[in-house]
Formats: sequence, C-alpha cells, structure tokens
Amino acid sequence: MWRNNEDKSSYKKFIVKNKIILLLFIVLFVLLSIRLFFLQIINGNKYAFISERQRLFSRYEHAPRGVIYSADNIVLAENKFSYAVLFYTNQNQKKLINHINNIPGDDVNFYVSNNVFTKLIYNLSMEDVLKILESKSNTNNFMILKESHRIYHKPKVMSHIIGYISEIKHNELKQFGYHIGDYIGRGGIEQYYDQYLKGQSGELQIEVNAKGNPTKVFQYISPSVGADVYSTIDFNLQQVAYNALKNSTTGIGAVVVLDIKTGAIKALVSCPGFNLNKMGIHNEFKKYCLDKRFPFFNRAIQAVYSPGSIFKIITFIASMEILHTKISQKCCCPGYFQLGNRKYVCWCKSGHGIINLINATALSCNVYFYQLGIKLGIYNLIKYAKTFFLGTKTGIDLPNEKSGFIPSPRWKHKHFCIPWFQGDTAIFAVGQGALGVTVLQMAYLIAGIANHGVFYEPYIVDRIVKDNVQVFKHRVKFKKTISINNLTYTALQTALLETVEYGTGRRAQLQDIKIAGKTGTAQNNKGKPHAWFVSYAPTENPKIAVAVLIENGGSGGMQAVPISKKIYQSYFKIIKKNE
Amino acid sequence: MNKKFLHYIDYKLIAPVICLIAIGFVSLYSACIKYGSSLKFIFIQIISCILGSLICYFLAKFNYIFYKKYYLFIYFVSIILLGLVLIFGSFKRGTKGWFNFGLFSFQPVEIAKIMFILAISSFLDNNILHINRIRCLSTIMMFLAGHLILIMLQPDFSSTLSYFPIIMILLFIVDIKRFYLLCIFILGIISLGIPLLKTFSEMYLLHYHKDMFLTHTANANVRLIFIFICFILAISIWFILKQIKIKVSIKYIVILLFIVILGNICSLPIEHSLKNYQKKRFIVFLNPQIDPYGFGYNIIQSKIAIGSGKLFGKGFKNGSQTQLGFLPEQHTDFIFSLIGEEGGWILAQLTIIIYLFFILRSLSIAKEAKDRYGSLVAIGITTMFMFYAIINIGMTMGLMPVTGMPLLFISYGGSSMVSSLCAVGILCSIASKKYSYY
Repeated sequence: MWRNNEDKSSYKKFIVKNKIILLLFIVLFVLLSIRLFFLQIINGNKYAFISERQRLFSRYEHAPRGVIYSADNIVLAENKFSYAVLFYTNQNQKKLINHINNIPGDDVNFYVSNNVFTKLIYNLSMEDVLKILESKSNTNNFMILKESHRIYHKPKVMSHIIGYISEIKHNELKQFGYHIGDYIGRGGIEQYYDQYLKGQSGELQIEVNAKGNPTKVFQYISPSVGADVYSTIDFNLQQVAYNALKNSTTGIGAVVVLDIKTGAIKALVSCPGFNLNKMGIHNEFKKYCLDKRFPFFNRAIQAVYSPGSIFKIITFIASMEILHTKISQKCCCPGYFQLGNRKYVCWCKSGHGIINLINATALSCNVYFYQLGIKLGIYNLIKYAKTFFLGTKTGIDLPNEKSGFIPSPRWKHKHFCIPWFQGDTAIFAVGQGALGVTVLQMAYLIAGIANHGVFYEPYIVDRIVKDNVQVFKHRVKFKKTISINNLTYTALQTALLETVEYGTGRRAQLQDIKIAGKTGTAQNNKGKPHAWFVSYAPTENPKIAVAVLIENGGSGGMQAVPISKKIYQSYFKIIKKNE
Repeated sequence: MNKKFLHYIDYKLIAPVICLIAIGFVSLYSACIKYGSSLKFIFIQIISCILGSLICYFLAKFNYIFYKKYYLFIYFVSIILLGLVLIFGSFKRGTKGWFNFGLFSFQPVEIAKIMFILAISSFLDNNILHINRIRCLSTIMMFLAGHLILIMLQPDFSSTLSYFPIIMILLFIVDIKRFYLLCIFILGIISLGIPLLKTFSEMYLLHYHKDMFLTHTANANVRLIFIFICFILAISIWFILKQIKIKVSIKYIVILLFIVILGNICSLPIEHSLKNYQKKRFIVFLNPQIDPYGFGYNIIQSKIAIGSGKLFGKGFKNGSQTQLGFLPEQHTDFIFSLIGEEGGWILAQLTIIIYLFFILRSLSIAKEAKDRYGSLVAIGITTMFMFYAIINIGMTMGLMPVTGMPLLFISYGGSSMVSSLCAVGILCSIASKKYSYY
C-alpha cells in the first residue's frame, strides 16, 4: 500500500496492472506445464524408446540352424562354426588394427568402417581366435563371436529337397519377427520348415555413451539352436535316381518315389541339380540363373507336363465304371482313328490289329482309347480326372507346389472362343492337349491305385526334434478312399502287369519282383516327347510307387522305364540285405 | 536480536528459494558425476550460495530507499563494471564477459541487470508525471542503450534479451501510452527478427536444397522489400480506415513507418555483432531437425531426456541421457532436462510450481510495497526471474530459443547464484518495509 496521498488513485491502476501481469505469468507457466505433460506423459513412451535406442547397441547373433537328416540318419545339412571378431572403434584404432592384423596369418586382414561397431572379419579359425585372445593386453575393445555357417552334404543330389539359405530381403522382414541380417530358407525343407530350423537368435546388448564407446554389457541372450529335421528321404534311392537321371539322354527330368502304405517320399529328384554350398557365391548363383536348363526349377512338383498315355489309366477306370466295358471287348486298330474328316493316329503306325482292353493298355493303343473317350464324353473324363486329384495340389510339405491343369469346354470357350470338339475329347482321353500334371501327382495317382483307391497325402518330413523332445511328428493323412469296383482294380492291375510283362514297359522286368506300370510318351511343342513311366511294385503287396519323367527324352518305354528299373533294383536289394 | 533477524526475512519468499537451491544441489551432483570431480562443482556452488546468502541478508536489512536516491551512482557503477570487463575481462564460451580471479570468475552482467532495474525504476518513479514526454522517453532509451551496447560488445546476446521484457513491463506499469509500448515492441521484434529469420531461412534452404546457391542473392534486398511492403500496408490500412470513417491521425502511421525503418537500421549492427553460430543456435529451435547433429542436437537430446523420464523418472544418477553424455551442458543451461529425466514428471512439474510460488510471492510483495519505487523494483526483478525461467525451461522443451540463460537458483554458476540471491535480498528488503514509516 503506497503511503503518499497523491499516489492513491494511481495505486488502484497499479493493482489492476499487477493482476494482468500475474495472469500473464500464470498463463506462461501453465503453457510450460502443458508442454511438460505432453512430453513426459503423452509422448513419454516414444521418447523413452528413442533414448533406449541411442543408448543400447544390439547385435543379433544368429542361432545355428537345425540339422537335416535323411530317413537312414545320414546328415544332409549341418552347421560349421567359425569365429568373427567385433571391434569398437575408438581413437587409436589404426594402431590396434595393425597390431591385430599381425596375429593371424597373412591371408587375414581386418578392415574398419566408420560405424560404431565394426565386424572385422568372418571365418576365423579357433587357432586364430586363441592367438588374438592370448595377446590380451589391448583387446578390451574386441569381442569374439561364434558364427555358424550352413554346409550341405551331397549338395547336388538333394538340392531341390533341402533348399538353401540366404540373407533376408527387406520386404520379408515384417513377418515372424526376423531381424536384418537373418538368414531365411529358400526352397525345399529349409523354406517350408524355416520356423523350426531357424532357432531363436541370441542378442547382445551393449550400452554405449554419446561418443559411441561401450560402457557395459547390458544384456546377453544366448542363441538357441534350431530343431533337427528328420526327412523321409532314402538317401541311397535318391542317389541312384539322381545318377540314373543324370546319365539319361537329356539329363533333364524328375523322379518321385513314394511309400505306398504311408505316403512318405522316398526320393524326389529333379535333374539337373545345383550346388547348395555355392549359393552364397554371386558368380556361381548367376551361372545357375543363366543356365538354359533351369536348374533351380523343381521339376518334380513345380513343372507341369502332359501325362500322355499315363492318363489312359483314368480313361480305363472311367470306362469300366461307367460304360461297364468288358475286358474282352475287342476293337480294331488300323493305326489311325477317323473322326469326321480328321485322322487321329496311333503311335504304332501299322496298327495293333484287333485287341482287347488289356492289350490296348499294355501296348498303349491310342485308337482304342480314342473310342473309349468319345463314348465316355468329356465331362465323365473330367470327373474321373478330378476324382484322382489331378488339378489339385497333393499337399506335400514343400513350397511352391503346382496344381496342374484340367481343361474343360468352358475354359476353351473362354480363352479361344472355339467350342469343344469331339477330337478334343479323344485327345484328352489319351492325356494329350492342354491337360497338365506334375510328376508327384502321377506318383500319387499310381500309389493310390496300387492301394486300391486309398490315398495318403505325400510328405517329406517325418519328425522334428528339438533338445531330444519331439516337437513335430507327421501323422499319416488318410485322404480319401475312392469307391471303385474291386473288379476294375483287378483288371487294371492285370493290364499294368501285362504292360511290364510284354507291353511297352517290358524293359523294367525284374526276376523276383513283379512290377506293374504304365508308360507315357507326351507330345509337346518343345521338341522330342517327354518320356514317362509310372509303376509300383511288388504287385501282390505294393510297397513303393515310382514316377519317372525325362524331359524331351523320347519314348517312355525306351527312356523312362530303365531308370525305374534301376530304382527298383536298388530298393529291393536293400530290403534283402536287411532281411 | 533474534526477533530482529527474523524480521527482515520474508519466509514465503525464502522457502521456495531454499527448495529450488536444494533441487539444484541434488541435480548438480548427479550431473557432475561423470566428470569425476562433482565435489569441486558442488563446493564452488556452496561457496557462492553462502556468499549470496550473506549479501542477501545484508541487502534485506538495508533500506532500499537509498537506491532511489543514488540511482545515478548505481547506474554509473554498472556502466563502469561493464566497461571494465570489456578491457580486462577474459573469454569464456566466445564472450568476453568474465573477470577472472584465478580460483573463481565473476560475470558482471548478472549484477548489472539488477543495478539497471534499481536505476531505471528510480528514474521512472521520479518522472512519473511527465513520463510520456519525448525527452523523458529518450532518456529511458539512453539508459537502456548504455547497457545494451556494452553487453552487445562482449557479445552476450542472451543477456541483452532479458532487458526487453523488463523495460516493457516497467513502462507498462508507469502508464506509458500504449502506442509507444507498441512502437518499442515492434522495434525490438524487427531489429532482432530480421537477422534471425534470415539465418533460419538460410539453414532451412541449405538443409532441404543443398544445391541451391541462389539464397544469398535472394536475401540481399530483403530489408528494402520488407520496408516497401510495410509502407504499402500502412498506406492501405490508413486509406481503408479513412473510408470507413475512423479517424486515425496520419502521425501514427508515419511514426510506425519510422519505427519499421529504425528497426531495420538497428538490425544491421545486431546482425554484424552477432556471430553466425549464435544466430544459428538461437533460431534452430523452430525446427531442430534441419540440423540434428549440429545446432539442433542440444534441443533434440534435451527433449528426448525430458520425455524419456515419463511419470516417475529414471531415478537419481540413473538417467541414461545425462550419465552417458548425450545431453550437453547438463549442469548449467540444460539442468532442467536432467531434472525431467531423473526425477520424472513429478519433480519437473514440482520445480515449475515452486518457481511459480516464488514469482507469485514476489508479485504480491510488489503489491504490498510501501511506495511506487518498491513496487517498480519488485516488478522488475520478478520479470527478470520470470523471463529466465520461461526461456530456460522452454528451451529445454524445444519451445524457446537456445540462449545461454541459466535456470536461476538451480543451474551451476557462481555469479548467477550470487546475483539472484542479491535480488532476493532486495525483495526481502521491500517486503520488510511495508509496515514501517519514514
């Protein structure tokens, strides 16, 4: 309170102004408080994250991937360990590097970039590591890490089944919590069972100060090894099949061997293979990419071919079921089939003469089956093709399986604006035209027929074991029993036996074991026809089914059948030894 | 004796001060641990605190009416101090503003500010009746210019800034014409704003268009263009006002234009006396991301430090931003970031509230003062504290420009501690005289 009288009036003014100033100050402080609240309470987590990020340096340590075994416990893929040196940069780095460079051999050279942490070198041997550790005097800035590398035994034989690993790509990072620099499986078991194989990567967190020098190890989570995968592959069979394919006329083709009673894949070969151990080398990879024979292509499950005469099996079944065709029903084959003004030829130009159904199958007479197909009609054929799982994936546990293709009148009209002709049906009945199947589907088909219509889903991985605990076990998937008259099967079996006895498949004959099979010679627009042979043995108590395809190999009976024979020889010899 | 001792102390004022100093010691200890010699800093701070308290007590006992009588003497002492420091001072962080006495150094600007408040308040109180005369106003400006020029010669940019709110608030209190106040405001804004915005636009363009070299030529005539635009604007506004029959004397328009031109002229020496880094550091707060590892680094790190403290903080001596050295100047200018990080929202908000209590109490001292002089001095000192606190705390949160202003009572710094305790002493003196008669 101002005491002077003349000030009394102006004091009132002052009080008002004092209040204005007070208000101004309070408003300013409230603004500060709002900002503080905004920073610490609302955005606190964001800033906490940033502060953690700039203080902690994390380095992920890849876990060693699991080992892949074959059915007979041969190691197909495993890990080799080497050591890597990690370096924290600081002022006198050059001196240190020179010092360290002298320790290992001449061929090892460290390099340094401007990062906070620099990986100096990979692939150090234990010996070199010990040498570095011995000169402990100034290695406080070093950290030695164990690193695993994938190596594959028999890389070419197994290439498509096992697959390889490579560093993860940017667009794959978001899934399943992968980190930059992680390795991910590509193709085969490595890709399909990546979740099991990859293990849990370890993490090394180091606290760094503002200058980037480490202050302390914050956290270390050691990596846990991936689970071991036991596949159903019979290694010897695989090897035999691969060698046989490689030595065939073109050296391009595929073989699938199925266990009839379970659906387990005994061998799955696609030729040519590629060297899995060289996938990390850029030049080698490029060479494979440019190869005209497309070695990366898994011909057993990813390639779609015309089935050729193999499809006659389905036509056979359909005609017996729907038309009740008798086995003895005779038909004359003059070497061609006249439909309208077009001639559809038989492969045997002179004609088979008068033959019955069994002979027609054994000799693979086209004319007989043209007639059957026309009698049946396209829709019946399509129905039976679908019944035997053509045009659908078999569900094998390998990535990128193709489903094949069944053409239909609707499809033809849609794409070519031409109606479906009877000639198309005739061609369809002998497995030519747009019909496409994979080698695996054919093996699946013949295995199902051998089993009298009981289909088991094919699989390649039997069980996965992590730390002696089984984490995955394949359950045999009973897919479907196709209800077809037993008589039909008996007739078909006779026909398939006859094929090997005296028909197109006679080159597969073995002394003790009776084999039933069907050859195929699929015409195509890329040169010589593809050679097919699907078979199973022994006939009385079927054990394995084999499907062989040789791309542009020529006649099925000439080219594909001998390969099957080698596989059977190999397989049944093993059985004998075990007994 | 005891009763008399207590008489001079205003507890409502002293209590928040003690709290702030206590918070300051705790944070200073945490901030200096990484230097390995935190005790040295603490020791100097304790010494200056004790010295400041003693001076505070004597000033509280001293009757402030004497300052009114000898205001010219006080003013000249302050001018001499500022002049001497230009001759004998030593450099610290690019400014020649320190008397170095070996063991400790002293920054005369801090005490000169308080002396200026004492002197200018006295002058205003004496000339209260004819304050709006040009002669009187120009005298006030001369008073101000004497200090500002000497400080700009150091050059201590941030200290000159603190004179503006003080003079504005004091002129506001003594019933100066609003128009003059506006003129001073515009003058200040223009003369400071032009060089700073020029710097900012250069930095901005440099950041976003690295290959653009036209910026310099574009900036050359910015002043002329600015004046021209103001001229057009003023004429058109005056014309519009005339059309809608509001009578505004042409005098005002002319004076405003004159002020704009004067501001432009004033901005020239300011631009040249300021070093480039000072300008950049000052203005980068508008968008620290344009230079995240250079001038924007402090602000970004400080924001991260405060934000990452969240509600309860990371704990004493546990702040990762501070202890690992991400946060620069953590014991002086950016000590509030440390409080925010280690003490969390609770301690940071508490600090702000204690500051507010202190400001409120000193405003009520201004209200209860015995005479106008006391009120003016109290308001001036309050404004100074207020300005420092707002600028410093705002700076750590990215709201205010980065200046070298300490957080009074908390930041490490002997001179600022002593001078702010002096100011508290003067406030106590004003408070204790409210019941006594001449």
